[in-house]
Amino acid sequence: MMCDLFFGSINLFTVPTSDPLFATILYDIRLPKTITSIMAGSGLALSGLLMQSLFRNPLAGPYVLGISSGSSLFVAIATMLVSSAQFSPIYMVGKSIISLFSVIGALFVTFTILLISRKNKSNVILLLIGLMFGQILGALQGFIEYISNPNDLKTFVIWGMGQVGNTTRDDLWLMIPICVTTVAASFFFVKSLNAILLNEQYAQNLGINIQRLKMAIIIITAILVGIITAFCGPIAFIGMSTPIATRLLFKTSHHLHQMTFCILMGACVMVTADLICQLLSSSIMLPINTITTLIGSPIVLYLLFKSKINMI
Amino acid sequence: MIRLENLEIGYNTKNQKICVFKNIHLNLKSGSLVGLIGDNGIGKSTLLKTLTGSLKAISGEVIINSKSIIDIPIPDLSKILSIVTTEKISGFNLTVWDVVASGRIPYLNLFGKLTSPDETLVLASLDELNLLSLKNKLMDELSDGQRQKVMIAKSLAQQTPIIILDEPTAFLDYTSKHHLFSILKSLCIEQNKLIIVSSHDVDLMKHYTTQTITMMANNEIKVVHN
Repeated sequence: MMCDLFFGSINLFTVPTSDPLFATILYDIRLPKTITSIMAGSGLALSGLLMQSLFRNPLAGPYVLGISSGSSLFVAIATMLVSSAQFSPIYMVGKSIISLFSVIGALFVTFTILLISRKNKSNVILLLIGLMFGQILGALQGFIEYISNPNDLKTFVIWGMGQVGNTTRDDLWLMIPICVTTVAASFFFVKSLNAILLNEQYAQNLGINIQRLKMAIIIITAILVGIITAFCGPIAFIGMSTPIATRLLFKTSHHLHQMTFCILMGACVMVTADLICQLLSSSIMLPINTITTLIGSPIVLYLLFKSKINMI
Repeated sequence: MIRLENLEIGYNTKNQKICVFKNIHLNLKSGSLVGLIGDNGIGKSTLLKTLTGSLKAISGEVIINSKSIIDIPIPDLSKILSIVTTEKISGFNLTVWDVVASGRIPYLNLFGKLTSPDETLVLASLDELNLLSLKNKLMDELSDGQRQKVMIAKSLAQQTPIIILDEPTAFLDYTSKHHLFSILKSLCIEQNKLIIVSSHDVDLMKHYTTQTITMMANNEIKVVHN
């Protein structure tokens, strides 16, 4: 985290603390970016874990199931609606509306997938449906981008690549409370999530109200994915792969441990990815999706090949 | 302990009610090992699902300890009745210990932390089924017979006076079937539990159970005390 704050195109160790540039870079640029990375990494990793446990499918995740695409589409719609307000005094109102739209988009996709999963319990079908959802929503987003003005189009494209550097200090006042509250709320479902790992019938027999649990997990996931996507764009890899890596590394099925490890690992991976982005590029910021996928996928592949048995 | 009064079982769809079996009147007492026999599709699993509360009866009542099952809250029911199904439990790092310990979930706090007495009970349940040496094994590494024993150990850890098993012998060889039934019988006698088992192994059921219930065509039920 310290490296992410001090190293980059400008090495802050070489800038005197009395220099106004030091405070500007540290407090206005790097600190919001690092905090956004922590929030996004931990939130997406936790969302992935919750989805994987709920569907009892290790390949589930907000990106794979099309939840991020739902958020993206709704963000595109909202951005068009409030694009003029972004540079006006009601900037935060605009951001709030975009975030709200993003959460609604995530809720819409998650609910639909849950309804379909009640009819068809096959894991493969579920993933294919998620994939198709992602494609359809992506196409609709493409249409919106096509009819938007060049400025909005540029915003969409850069945002769509995944960025943690667009968040301002003011944005954090919206992002941090929502993320922290939602992550904390998810810990109230540790026992229920442990039970649902067996199967729904067993979980119900162990005294768990399945419908209430599903509703709670959907709302928690949608809020986390929605708010993170609104600020950082759709971020691939973290949501699906971090829970897999956590299970393979720490060899636990207890959700109190899994959730804690996922939150920490997600934050670490995202901050590291952001640091690499900062170090690799001097004048432009690389899309974070490129780095998260490039460093994360080989690690998960290695862990998968190394494990002797299906532990995920 | 369990009383079924004029029970009609089946499925409620949007427009119609599909009756699978009706006119069921039964009285099952603790300390009994009850075998449920019947052809495929006759409604054995539907009856067991209705008994566990996961499926609503079309009409009639399931009464457990003088209380209708629909009036028993889910958390309370989990302390009265436990189930063992044929579905394979695996993946997600689940070990034998994790699965057996999940039987304590109805008694744990929100964070699912096992207390020392809970751990003692889980160990005792593992010991009862000779699974102590396997406690750290992953569920994926077990044979079908071992897996069934783990699920029964989970039921024991759940400490319910009633255990319901749906076709527990489905994937077992001859020796494992006998071993499983002898375990169930000793549990009935030693712990005064009511255990209800559905199976197609008629001879085995007659040999071990205290009573067999045969579901026949035309909604007829034959009860034989062995």
